[in-house]
Amino acid sequence: MNGELQITDCECSIQNPKSEIQNLKSEIQNPRYRLTFATQRTLAYVSVLELGKIWERSLRRARLPLKYSQGYNPRPRLHFAAPLPVGCGSEADLLDVWLEAPVDPQRMRTALTDVVPPDLSVIDVRAVPEDEAALSEQLVAAEYRVWLRDVDPQIVQSAVTDFLHSDTLALAKRGRKYRGKTYNLRPLVEELRLEDAPAPWTGLWMRVYARPGATGRPDEVLKALDLNDAPRRCTRTRLILAV
Amino acid sequence: MTTIQPIPWEAIEALLHRVQKPGRYVGGEYNAIHKPWETTALHMCLAFPDIYDLGMSNFALAIFYELLNARPEVLAERAYLPAPDMIAQMRQASLPLYTLESYRPVAAFDILAISTAYEQLYTNILELLDLAGIPLRAADRDATHPLIIGGGHGTFNPEPVADFFDVFVIGEAEAVLLELIDTWQAHRHLPREDQLRALLDVPGLYIPRFYQATGEFGAVVPTDPAAPARILKRLLPTLPPTPIRQLVPNVEVTHNRAVVEIQRGCTRGCRFCQAGSITRPVRERPAAEIVESVAAILDATGYEEVALLSLSSADHSEIKPLLEALLERFAGRHLSISLPSLRIESFSVDLADMLSQGRRSGFTFAPEAGSDALRRRINKDIATADLLAVAEEVFRRGWRTLKLYFMLGLPGETDEDIEAIIDLAHRVRRLGLDIGGRKTEVHVSVSTFVPKPHTTFQWAALADRYTVERRQSLLRERLRGRGLRLSWNQYGSTRLEALLARGDRRLNAVVEAAWRNGARFDAWDEWRNLEAWERAFAETGFDVDAALYRPRATDEPLPWDHLHSGVEKRFFLRDYRRSQAGELLGDCRESCHACGILVNYPGMWTAEWECPEQGGGVKSKA
Repeated sequence: MNGELQITDCECSIQNPKSEIQNLKSEIQNPRYRLTFATQRTLAYVSVLELGKIWERSLRRARLPLKYSQGYNPRPRLHFAAPLPVGCGSEADLLDVWLEAPVDPQRMRTALTDVVPPDLSVIDVRAVPEDEAALSEQLVAAEYRVWLRDVDPQIVQSAVTDFLHSDTLALAKRGRKYRGKTYNLRPLVEELRLEDAPAPWTGLWMRVYARPGATGRPDEVLKALDLNDAPRRCTRTRLILAV
Repeated sequence: MTTIQPIPWEAIEALLHRVQKPGRYVGGEYNAIHKPWETTALHMCLAFPDIYDLGMSNFALAIFYELLNARPEVLAERAYLPAPDMIAQMRQASLPLYTLESYRPVAAFDILAISTAYEQLYTNILELLDLAGIPLRAADRDATHPLIIGGGHGTFNPEPVADFFDVFVIGEAEAVLLELIDTWQAHRHLPREDQLRALLDVPGLYIPRFYQATGEFGAVVPTDPAAPARILKRLLPTLPPTPIRQLVPNVEVTHNRAVVEIQRGCTRGCRFCQAGSITRPVRERPAAEIVESVAAILDATGYEEVALLSLSSADHSEIKPLLEALLERFAGRHLSISLPSLRIESFSVDLADMLSQGRRSGFTFAPEAGSDALRRRINKDIATADLLAVAEEVFRRGWRTLKLYFMLGLPGETDEDIEAIIDLAHRVRRLGLDIGGRKTEVHVSVSTFVPKPHTTFQWAALADRYTVERRQSLLRERLRGRGLRLSWNQYGSTRLEALLARGDRRLNAVVEAAWRNGARFDAWDEWRNLEAWERAFAETGFDVDAALYRPRATDEPLPWDHLHSGVEKRFFLRDYRRSQAGELLGDCRESCHACGILVNYPGMWTAEWECPEQGGGVKSKA
């Protein structure tokens, strides 16, 4: 396997696809909704677990009838397409939510808009077929915009060029249990280029693969570009699902 | 009024990729209150001198945040001390400490209220002031600096940090903060000295610059005729309204849940317990009010857990009907309810049983001492036989882990008392094995006793290092094996806590020297710097041993005698003698022991108080 396993960020909120399938039968009568949302500023600095809790509490404030799991520690069924790295906002992320009873998506959107924290916005809510595959299974790639400060654009350009010309970029795997292990970042990055950004920023744009077990991360790309220390503003601009 | 510009977001953002858990430094919480700066007359900053994770869990700050912001002319924002990595980044970038609402520098606020919840925060208070760019000592500040006020349990002996504060609030700040603000507002145009002189008119404020310490350890006496010789704590006749729009953090914090204070104070009279004496009298919140508050908080926050706060939950007179009402009202809403501080009795097991729908991870009891005799000395009225019966019940009902909290170094403790802890732990372990099998565990946690001001044991000496460490190693040798776990405190950290808790005014120089040597986060094992303290003792010539290991004579003045919790010193003295004689003192709900509360707060009694009819003094009925 090429990619780095990103399980440290998403143990709880991202369901294991296998158990997903096993659970499908029992979940079938519960309506499922897909939320498109954006986060910025303060909410760019939360982990995916924390974002899950933010959503759970927002949905509870909106008094939406969340579907909870069975067992000793019931959890609401919330399912992100992919964890957002800490330090990264989003313009169009996806979250599937299961409810106990059907709710008009428009009403759901309005109810949520009133109760989400300041830097979270609800862009769209729509019903999706209950038996559709998990978002994480449908996800293929993600696009990021990274603005950097206090960097020389020419140095960034040459780092990008070097990056694109290399076949292997070994980076340390994250997480304690992978200590000393490396993975190859290069094949996880489909596209990487400079793009326009307002002063004083230098803009980078990238499309990285985001398949289970093979996920490129923008902060890892910055590490490979030796831009790890530059102040940045990172935004996930698009999630690309398989058609 | 000059307009103070916020720190630009970009300046904060530029540091965030270099620190752990950056979400601590950006605010943006649901229910945070943003008021316009220019059109609000008084700007107040509420600060907790430890990291966000702890500060957001501090319920006192939640009360004041709502109370102050409810006033139209007051704006209250929050600041916490960043973790060392962020402090280093901010210092390097010359970024001062800022509030999480408007990102304005803390130094730009009119009043800076700093929690002195516990003693190990003292060096952090200096770090906080310094990071805010505010001179440390009150004497070096003038009216252009914020008025620095302190409040919290630590203010019942604030002498070790008296030089750094302008004002301490003694007692329940809910009762006095608004008076303080109004008085200060009326005098804010005056020089700082005159502002403070005006505040002498507000009862319950201790303004250290109008006092001096006399003698070696010293009584603290007024130097100004207008300053009261003894400051009686302020008290609310009934509990303050529960904050409803409680802050919901975006990042994980220590206690990430809704809170309702169901009871303040405790009638049990444990002789080591400072919280129990300084929060008297016991005031109960009626069950019906609690249920309504929980409903309102859940709607306003979305929290999935609520903690019912008190010093002894099972003592609330309506506790069982309260839990039944909560369980019924919020059935199906996936609300978990937590009940801290349960007494060792089967009633507690019943209560926990009601709340733990299926999940039975851990149950905690605090016998505090191993033997019946020592428990009598500390007034913890529970016999070993009863304790074992309750432990059996806990395992029988399916809990797998039982945590037992003990103290080491209690007055009158002998090696036999340590043997008794060991014996008790093994017997509980065997009960677990017999009833719940090999998956059960007993966790024994042994902290070292610190004699605290305003308690029966305030005259006692701290147990010496040799005794404590020998007893700790005795426990380590004998509490081994599968299913037994032991934890304990490092003596160095206990000694520091005792010094700060019991210190007098001379400690100010030591605290400042220690901070300059790099001491910070004294409550944190990973950040504590005892070596910095040792150098501070040497530099200032401070004799720690003389301060800690000498039992105080009962007729000598104590550094905290000028602050009055409402419980009389002579009550503690009588109780100290009872302790030495091994005598118990019963629950004061049943009969009044004349601690002094009823005499010191005449005319304040309300139906929420648990003081019985036959009070030891004047008692007028509301």
